[in-house]
Amino acid sequence: MKRVVSVFFISFLLSPVFATDNTQLLKQVDRNLNPESFESYRKLINIEPNGREKEFVLFTVKKGKDKVAALFISPASEKGRSTLRLDENMWLYIPNIGKPVRITSLQSVVGGVFNNADILRLDYAEEYDVAKVEDLEDEYLLYLKAKTNSVAYDQLKMWADKEQSLPNKIECLTEASILIKTIYFKQIKDFGGGIVRPSVIETDSPLHQGYKSVMIFAGIKHREFKDEVFTLPFLSNLESLR
Amino acid sequence: MRSTILCLILLNLLVSGLSAQEEHTFDLSKIGKKAFHFGGYLEFRPVLFGLDRDSWLYKLNLYDLEEGETIAEYNFNALLDFSYEKGIVRAKIRTNTDITKSFSGWSYETTLYEAFFSVKPSLSLHLDIGKKRMKWGKGYAWNPVAFIDRSKNPNDPDLALEGFVVLSMDYIKSFKGKLKTISLTPVLMPVYDHINSDFGERNKLNFGGKAYFLFYDTDIDLMFLSGGSMPARYGIDFSRNMTSNFEIHGEFAYIPGYSKKVIDRSGSITEENYTSTSYLLGFRYLTRINTTFIFEYFKNGSGYTFNQMENFYFLIEQAYQSYLLTGDNSQLNFLAGAATQDYRTFAPMQEYLYLRISQKEPWDILYFIPSFTSIINLTDKSFSLAPELLYNPITNLELRAKITVLLGKDGSEFGEKQNDFRLEFRGRYYF
Repeated sequence: MKRVVSVFFISFLLSPVFATDNTQLLKQVDRNLNPESFESYRKLINIEPNGREKEFVLFTVKKGKDKVAALFISPASEKGRSTLRLDENMWLYIPNIGKPVRITSLQSVVGGVFNNADILRLDYAEEYDVAKVEDLEDEYLLYLKAKTNSVAYDQLKMWADKEQSLPNKIECLTEASILIKTIYFKQIKDFGGGIVRPSVIETDSPLHQGYKSVMIFAGIKHREFKDEVFTLPFLSNLESLR
Repeated sequence: MRSTILCLILLNLLVSGLSAQEEHTFDLSKIGKKAFHFGGYLEFRPVLFGLDRDSWLYKLNLYDLEEGETIAEYNFNALLDFSYEKGIVRAKIRTNTDITKSFSGWSYETTLYEAFFSVKPSLSLHLDIGKKRMKWGKGYAWNPVAFIDRSKNPNDPDLALEGFVVLSMDYIKSFKGKLKTISLTPVLMPVYDHINSDFGERNKLNFGGKAYFLFYDTDIDLMFLSGGSMPARYGIDFSRNMTSNFEIHGEFAYIPGYSKKVIDRSGSITEENYTSTSYLLGFRYLTRINTTFIFEYFKNGSGYTFNQMENFYFLIEQAYQSYLLTGDNSQLNFLAGAATQDYRTFAPMQEYLYLRISQKEPWDILYFIPSFTSIINLTDKSFSLAPELLYNPITNLELRAKITVLLGKDGSEFGEKQNDFRLEFRGRYYF
């Protein structure tokens, strides 16, 4: 009986340590994916079952834990559109309309499988707690639970490479554990400045059979920005940062 | 043997072609920033109007029309953007050209929508001088607090509009904590014979401003305009995401010395002075199956009552009968002129509802958005219904088909419009 109590007591003492380790693991994955503040270019490609493709190119800037903005560079029909995310607040600026309108994380400004939360992603550790971690052969399987109900996906299952602490695959699930989409991380590339990460992200969804969206990264580099860059009045001026 | 080799080569070509298609590349050198930019769109928009020959607005605007029950109109439009950016300075010009073939023949008009020069001495400070839009307000269909903008068309709120000549400044400051951002936008707006002459009383230098706050995750704007071209006015708006799929917004405009031109049954125009308060409340809701609902209630404090509109319609009927008897159209021309233009705005009366339901990419058809829009005049219970199909079949090409049906009893706003329906197609190519 004493042994049982001791084991229980030790595991009780150690559980916060494990939780901290698990959170650290997730934070490490975040940092390996990109610096806390950076600029990057992304090409988004929506691929339909018949092979038809549509491409978008975005310039993205991020600062700290909760600020990210993206500017559409092409195609011409989208050029000048900008999106801003401050924590859970999201806006879309369309040059013709001329003023930022609030959008929601579950909408998609590009159509296809990626939604706004995917395009304006914050650090995973900002939005999710690590519920548990399974130790697989070459990977950790992290079970992530959204910190608030305003996060786009209630649960994530993340398969992360043990050696590189980078995700290989993420399943996005609803509260009822229904699979919404799967994100695959591919083609690890050295971007310079110590940034070594997957350069291609693919996603598909059982809700959209046969459809696929691809995100290709380029020009990721560490860059510091003033907070004023991540404000509504600046949204129409993101081009000046390029 | 030769045919086998040929087959192998063909197969190899096919396979390599397929794999090349699957291999996506991203060359940064192709997206380098250029100082000069030229872009915009070209549009073709044929419209078929189904006329309501008994309506009062038909009698006002089309009384001498010798066409049948429908008339067709062909619109060609070019919106051109030119911009130049170098260092802290930027110049932008936007022009809009409309070429229309209607029952009255061809017409052509080019309008300078925007032409301004910007200086950004720092990321926090931004100065603009020239013709531009200020874009105040959070409403989708209406913006009662857009004191320095032209009225949007609620039937097509996303259309580009012409600006006014202003001198404006944006000062932005960010903070940590619940108050995340403050921005201040003072505006000077001259109204003289050749500058902004259609805005209001001339020979006045108007001063306005907006203060924006992102406070407790809520966008809040306070704005005002004074200077004499129009009665001084004050406004506030807000917008907030309640959840990841639910947004609410609102606007409130207060005009203490508002002056409304009212025409009585004798045809004389008087000015009614009172304190006008207008407000708008709305939400945007996205369902799990990607259906978006936009709903807005608009109380237009500057609008006309049912009786005031009825008087206007009565005068049209009188003027029309006079025209039929004598051939004199002077009364009709007067009623169609500037003195009564407030009776013919996009929201001439006092209470409206706006509802738009759009479904993103149903049946997995990418870039296809069917939608349905209704605008309801709550005062006279008339309304419009507008189903619409929007599709981008290839990159940069947007196709839209829309039919707008106007319904209402005699004497109501939508019942007395000159059309019973409007069927339109729009093809727009961006470059």
